[in-house]
Amino acid sequence: MAAREKLGFLRQRFGAAIIRADLTSDRRLYVFVEPRSVKEVCRALFRELDARYVITIGADDRPWSGCFMVAHNFAFDRDRLLVSVMCLLPADSPRIESISDVVPAANWAEREMRDLVGIEAVGHPYPKRLVLPDGWPEGLHPLRKDVEWDEAPDCDESGAGYDFDDPPEGCTVVPFGPFHPTLDEPAHFRLYVEGETVRGCEYRGFMVHRGIEKLAESVLGYNDIPIMAERICGICGCVHNVAYAQSVEEAVALRPPPRAEYIRTIMLELERLHSHLLWVGLACHIVGFDTLFMQAFRVREPVMWIAEKISGNRKTYGLCVIGGVRWDITSELSDELKTVLDKLESEWHNVARAVKNDKNIQRRTCGVGVADASVVKEMGLIGPVARAAGVDIDCRRDHPYAAYDRVDFRVITAQSADVWGRLVVRTDEVFESISIIRQCLARLEPGPIQTPIKEDLPAGRFGLSSVEAPRGESHHFVITGENNRPRRWRVRAPTYQNLQGVPSMIRDAQLADMTIALGSIDPCFSCTDRIEAVDVRSGAVKVWTPRDLREMAKRAQSGRHIKDS
Amino acid sequence: MSWFWAIIGCICNAALVLVLAPLFEGILRKVTARVQSRKGPPLLQPYYDLFKLLGKEDIESGEAPWAQRFAAWLSMGVVLAAVCFVPMGFNAPLGGAGDALVLIYLLMLGGLCTLMAGLAAGSTYSLLGMSREMMLMITLEPLFAVAMIVGAVHANSLRLDAVLGGAVYEGRFGVSGLLMLVVSAASFQALVQRVPFDIPEAETEIMEGPLSEYSGPKLALFKWARMAKLVVYAALFVALFVPWGSGLPFPLGWVLFWCKVLVLVLLVTLVAATHARYRVDQAVRYFGGMLVIAVFALILATYGY
Repeated sequence: MAAREKLGFLRQRFGAAIIRADLTSDRRLYVFVEPRSVKEVCRALFRELDARYVITIGADDRPWSGCFMVAHNFAFDRDRLLVSVMCLLPADSPRIESISDVVPAANWAEREMRDLVGIEAVGHPYPKRLVLPDGWPEGLHPLRKDVEWDEAPDCDESGAGYDFDDPPEGCTVVPFGPFHPTLDEPAHFRLYVEGETVRGCEYRGFMVHRGIEKLAESVLGYNDIPIMAERICGICGCVHNVAYAQSVEEAVALRPPPRAEYIRTIMLELERLHSHLLWVGLACHIVGFDTLFMQAFRVREPVMWIAEKISGNRKTYGLCVIGGVRWDITSELSDELKTVLDKLESEWHNVARAVKNDKNIQRRTCGVGVADASVVKEMGLIGPVARAAGVDIDCRRDHPYAAYDRVDFRVITAQSADVWGRLVVRTDEVFESISIIRQCLARLEPGPIQTPIKEDLPAGRFGLSSVEAPRGESHHFVITGENNRPRRWRVRAPTYQNLQGVPSMIRDAQLADMTIALGSIDPCFSCTDRIEAVDVRSGAVKVWTPRDLREMAKRAQSGRHIKDS
Repeated sequence: MSWFWAIIGCICNAALVLVLAPLFEGILRKVTARVQSRKGPPLLQPYYDLFKLLGKEDIESGEAPWAQRFAAWLSMGVVLAAVCFVPMGFNAPLGGAGDALVLIYLLMLGGLCTLMAGLAAGSTYSLLGMSREMMLMITLEPLFAVAMIVGAVHANSLRLDAVLGGAVYEGRFGVSGLLMLVVSAASFQALVQRVPFDIPEAETEIMEGPLSEYSGPKLALFKWARMAKLVVYAALFVALFVPWGSGLPFPLGWVLFWCKVLVLVLLVTLVAATHARYRVDQAVRYFGGMLVIAVFALILATYGY
């Protein structure tokens, strides 16, 4: 219904500029648009129909259509609809008008598209390098199909090739990162600080980009990718695992059996539990309250143990294959899980009360790191950050997947738009997750856990999947392909959007609030960074140059021993 | 021969504090661990830590290595000097030699060591820690000074032996003394640099601030001085505000004194384990409020209340 309405609106408004539209279901709409009208279509969707910006995808489609492809994805959360505005660009001039001035949230995605696929967003307000390392040669775009997956160009190691902006008048630069005790992963915020007040910042991240998307498009097979996708993140890996599997299943119209859907739901909620407990602990640690940090971790531990019993691992469950799951939840496991949940619920009540009644935590979090509803809209923020600002979005309810349409739960929101709100939202979501798992366990009926696949999966189909990770929506986009692997797989982790909201959260804040403001989005840099790490490891006798490491990796890949290196 | 006994007393006090301080730190860590559902390190861990650090290579780093070294030695020296003026179960060995002002200055010098350490390191984070230390010092030190002066006003003398030993409560109702007790107790965490007022070091914000460039023996000195500071301040607090029972015959009074110090350390531990860190502006506002009460108490004291 909603999909037809939106399509009708676009056709009426843009007429012949709408070349083609695919309505694969009433929850998905793929609109092919003339390149010159893309910006206006996006403006209409984002400003007039109030869609939420999700992500921009660039793809090298030259081997098949002879063109480059760009897709701007939007979500209508009330109508349970995901829309993809697509267009084809000629192979000799892959240029498209930038939408970042209409949709500020597209800022990073368009820069990434330029870096990785070489599609130029013309008129971009801040066309600086985003993903590629400093010395990476111009004109080499790793996600193009004519670039080999293991190609490693000679980088300029001198550190040239990237210039930071000048700080504003009267400010000193405080480097926050690349390594900092509260960042467990490398990322570099250059803070412009006046006294103790932060006036602005520049972000340089993507230092642990591992090329997972490129691997998937050139080396791995459909059922290898879920295992790799899970390694995108050490905290919410299962989310990527499920989101990838779902996007492929949607593209080829394959439905996993109900039992598998329930198991996916249970594991996703287990993961949310451990992630939220971890986050509340870390937030307390950041503001110097180590007792609650330790207690949160103690309460969390049984969740890890039960996950290990189910999947064999505390984390990285290795859950999904296309069309089902790999682990069953037996009745013994189910009973044990119920016991764990009961204990967790009563203990979490205590921790939640301690956190919510603590005056010092309130003092450190109220009014800190504010991102109100307008920032949420402009920067496309999601998850607890959006819900804490009163924006009632949650993919579990808005774009139901797995078994979420068969369970009851509340979407927790707050109105304060600050770190305190995010803390309250996450603390309370724990109880909802417990309730969801209980409902799933009660409804789990015997049956198969995988749908058999008899033929090759068809090529050239599109699939979208949004999964509510603990930190917000994880969005996967897949174009199926030949040789048992996708042509294009784009992962948009929640931190990718939420991180873009950080500069406005910390502007004019105290430097002491920087860590908790950044921490409040629960940043996951490994999710955001997905290509290649260039690193120098210095041993006592030998310095490994990046080239040595690459050679070693290649030898290991081809099966030879590496002892001679 | 009184100078001889004074020197012996100083050495005894200093040795006692140096030896006991890591033990108190060990107790503190162990109790913290229990509160946090952890097992905690062995009671003697702080001794091992210090020995390990003392045995490490002495690395020069930062903008001005000599100033860095000097700051570390000075911080230890200041604590050891202060020890001579504080009763540790007996009368202070140099109690009659200096007056309350000497002690105030000495303890302030301790804060200056942190400033010097921050300046000497010269990194962004150490400078930030330094500016925070300065803000805290400006608001915190007057509180301690006022507490001493209230005692001095009541005792009608700045002599240390007169000020300590419960002089703060003398006067018609002892109201000013009780007020100062509240103020000092409420700011004690900051005097001994523990959570929620460990702002200049704040590991998760500015990575130990002024200490970030320290390592090896110099770091050991700083850490040891910090542990000793806890003992000295606790002893001073007991001498100023909890003098009861110190008149008991030798072993009893002595044991009672150290029990009181231990209780105070345990209180510090519990407060540290159950609070989140303040931001520096919040802390300054907090101490500002305390200062108003303290000045009020001082006015009361001058009128004999």
